[in-house]
Amino acid sequence: MTYRADVLIIGAGASGGVAARHLAEHGFDVVCLEQGDWPDRSAFPGTRPDWELAIRRDWAMSPNVRNRPEDYPVVHDDSDIEPLMYNAVGGSMIIYAGTWPRMLPSDFRVRTLDGVADDWPIAYQELVPYYDAIDRQIGVSGLAGDPAYPPHDDYPLPPLPLGMAGRRVAEGHNRLGWHWWPEPNAILSAPYDGRRPCVQRGVCTSGCAEGAKASTDLTHWPKATAAGARLITGARVSRITLGPQGLATGAVWLDRLGVEHHQEADVVILAANAVGTARLLLLSADDRHCPDGLANSSGLVGQRLMMHPFSVVTGWWDDQVEGWQGHFGASITSYQFYETDPDRDFVRGAKWALSPVGGPLNHILPMRAGNEVWGPDHHELMGRTFGRGASWAIFGEDLPEESNRVELDPGRTDSHGIPAPRVRYRISDHSRRLMAFQEQRAEESLTASGCQETAVASMIPYSGWHLMGTARMGEDPASSVVNPRQQTHDVPNLYIADASVFVTSSGVNPTCTITALALRTADLLVQHRSEQKVPA
Amino acid sequence: MTTADSSAEIDVSRLEELADVMLPAAHGMPSASDVKAVVVYLDQVLGWRNDLRQSLARAVAGLEPATFTVDQLAALHEEDEDAYIALTTAVAACYYLSPEVRGRIGYPGQVAKTYDPYAYTEWVAEGLLDPVVERGPIWREAPG
Repeated sequence: MTYRADVLIIGAGASGGVAARHLAEHGFDVVCLEQGDWPDRSAFPGTRPDWELAIRRDWAMSPNVRNRPEDYPVVHDDSDIEPLMYNAVGGSMIIYAGTWPRMLPSDFRVRTLDGVADDWPIAYQELVPYYDAIDRQIGVSGLAGDPAYPPHDDYPLPPLPLGMAGRRVAEGHNRLGWHWWPEPNAILSAPYDGRRPCVQRGVCTSGCAEGAKASTDLTHWPKATAAGARLITGARVSRITLGPQGLATGAVWLDRLGVEHHQEADVVILAANAVGTARLLLLSADDRHCPDGLANSSGLVGQRLMMHPFSVVTGWWDDQVEGWQGHFGASITSYQFYETDPDRDFVRGAKWALSPVGGPLNHILPMRAGNEVWGPDHHELMGRTFGRGASWAIFGEDLPEESNRVELDPGRTDSHGIPAPRVRYRISDHSRRLMAFQEQRAEESLTASGCQETAVASMIPYSGWHLMGTARMGEDPASSVVNPRQQTHDVPNLYIADASVFVTSSGVNPTCTITALALRTADLLVQHRSEQKVPA
Repeated sequence: MTTADSSAEIDVSRLEELADVMLPAAHGMPSASDVKAVVVYLDQVLGWRNDLRQSLARAVAGLEPATFTVDQLAALHEEDEDAYIALTTAVAACYYLSPEVRGRIGYPGQVAKTYDPYAYTEWVAEGLLDPVVERGPIWREAPG
């Protein structure tokens, strides 16, 4: 007998986990299909001696390098940035850094304030209650009162340690008269909700074996399943099905053996990231109803992909600061050059986050700033720099362009034979000016902080963690894919909970906002449940 | 991407000679062979990263230890990037697994540390954030 759920969620990562918990706790019968598995924390490599070898292969952030059965290839030979992600319960939160900044009020109004891109149909203030709620759900460590933000609730936990490098750069910024603040992190500084605190091991981006870094496999799924949600892993969705009334009826999915199933539901929520969600909407094209892809009457599905140009500026002191140690999220942040300044040759700006630089292999075979040096000079370089550095990680606001997009690749497929996504993405001249300015200022920051040497890794390709914008939110169905409730204009019982809906990218790490939006979407679904159209 | 071949044979003595050119004794640090980096750790490294084996075997077979200089690495990078990555990764991984090398660079590994989560009150009381707070808000008002 076919089982029909109230809500089917596709993807058990950040947005899927948050939505599932809220809906299940409010009485909805929730089923979630996740192509990956539950993460095994004992398999995380950060406590092993091969950690730095593992992150270059089996624990790489690129699905193309990991090449696990649950991954799908992302064709990116026509892209300046390589999309990165992780497919499992918890999603890419398993490998994210854990920095937890909110977007700023101006981020929602870039057309009004700066004459570029588009305003969001919602404002910062509408998200504040959801930001506050999410901070409590996951246990954010931070310090209230940052003058870069409007006042908001205090964080549930005290800030993580500044570390030696954070302290020095904080003092440097005080000398320059520049902004800095302890970074809010989704990493516990003290025991919280049954989880242990961070031990400063510095391996956050290859999985947190302590469970101190928040990911929904820890923070939301146990509560969601306790409230009755059903989570099916190893379930790869191939398309969303549409009924005669133009409503979604569920999704076809393949199990690990390739056996096809159909999960019926009254409401479908896509939560598969801005590449995966666009891919599924395009895969769900139907010659009769939606030949260009599901929910794509605007033609915008897959378009306006944003990925945050990312530069790393590293500075080295002449003494040890244990530069391999500390939470990888960030110790301190700076918004000194975040907002638009009319005297510059670009608008908008970037957020900076100060991070450790890794162990010896990352030092001499750098994935970020630095050079490979062999022969006698190798030891001179290591002696001069190892353990003595810290990096400003700089995310620049990426303005949307329709030419930056996700399509279906005509040749590549995943392990089930489903067409793979192809990403076409170019960093704009505007972004290049913005990032060049930020890189120069970051070198000044580190020099003022006492560093003897600095190096810039400019707009590195291996940096596409932040996938946004491929099904944008808006009031007008002709120029957007979802409405402000994240309900698709074309299919009233199909919602999108992930960062596909972002109108613009802001210049901050997106997961905090992804989860706040997912909570808001789920909450509005609960509030408007009696009005929800469902299949007969 | 190169397909891993677990049967590819690597000439360990040739690799050790190449590793000594890449990591000679200098600046107070031992050479690769001084700490027996390749002899002791290569099996371990390839156990973790067997995907490197075939490319590493190709790099070792293609470089002549007697005349090898580090300047040749750039050409290897240009001509056979997989071989270059395998060689540099394997040599570096073997060397920095050595406890003697780790001790000399002061690296204990990625270790767990304890700390007082409320120690921040000390630097707040000390006034570290005061200049930032005194400059006032820097966020930009936006219409609702």
